[in-house]
Amino acid sequence: MLAIALTLALTSALQAQAPAPDLSDPEVAHVAVTANRIDIDMAKLAQTHTRNGAVRQFAATMITDHTAVNSQAAALTTKLGVTPKDNAVSQSLQTGATQARASLDALHGAAFDRAYMDREIAYHQAVLDAIDQLLIPTTENAELRTLLVDVRPAIATHLEHAKQLRSQLGAPARTGK
Amino acid sequence: MIIWLLLLLTGSTPPITHTVEIRGMEFHPAVLTAAVGDTIVWINRDIVPHTATGAGKGRWDTGQLGQGAMGRYVPQHAGTARYSCTLHPTMHGKLIIH
Repeated sequence: MLAIALTLALTSALQAQAPAPDLSDPEVAHVAVTANRIDIDMAKLAQTHTRNGAVRQFAATMITDHTAVNSQAAALTTKLGVTPKDNAVSQSLQTGATQARASLDALHGAAFDRAYMDREIAYHQAVLDAIDQLLIPTTENAELRTLLVDVRPAIATHLEHAKQLRSQLGAPARTGK
Repeated sequence: MIIWLLLLLTGSTPPITHTVEIRGMEFHPAVLTAAVGDTIVWINRDIVPHTATGAGKGRWDTGQLGQGAMGRYVPQHAGTARYSCTLHPTMHGKLIIH
């Protein structure tokens, strides 16, 4: 349920820009920073809710990696003199994250682990789609586009890691609905 | 000249340094052949940190390497050594030491 809600949020964010996605570079930067911050916050939630060592390690990696990416993004926007600008895609991401967080916060132990990893799989897949279909095609500045291209393999690796870990956690998540 | 002649006579070669680049969330090359006593250097070209960490007995670890950082390992025994990044367990590499 969480995964579906999150995928829908990102999909609707993409569709909201259809047929010709047209974000400015400051808006692209804001989406990128927001996407990273959301996953950092969710990982911090995971660290307070999980008792599973592998899930805890995954969450730690998400914090480390997405913090590193945001530091790089901040350095680049400062260098370029770009101020990230809030926009409909960022807001849609944030709305979806708030809903997902509320649902996850009510879970504990193994049920939390499964729901969190389901969410991470859906989120990273949606972010990959957003990078490919929205962010890279619409970015004009070459250095900002290069940053997005450089970040993509890390997102793909997180997705693979999440799938691998989720497969070790057993039965489907139950959200109580 | 004398050292070179000694090495020629003993049939051994001086230790050399091999470099493995970490970029795009992969080890390049993923499989490296080296000799006992050679130095293997990993350099992280990615934005996110990585490690190169040996598996099994005699576990070795470069520690966490931030962007642009380097880690070293000098193998002391012949054999095949698999390693991975502890932060990203889907990243694997292999050393063939002779």
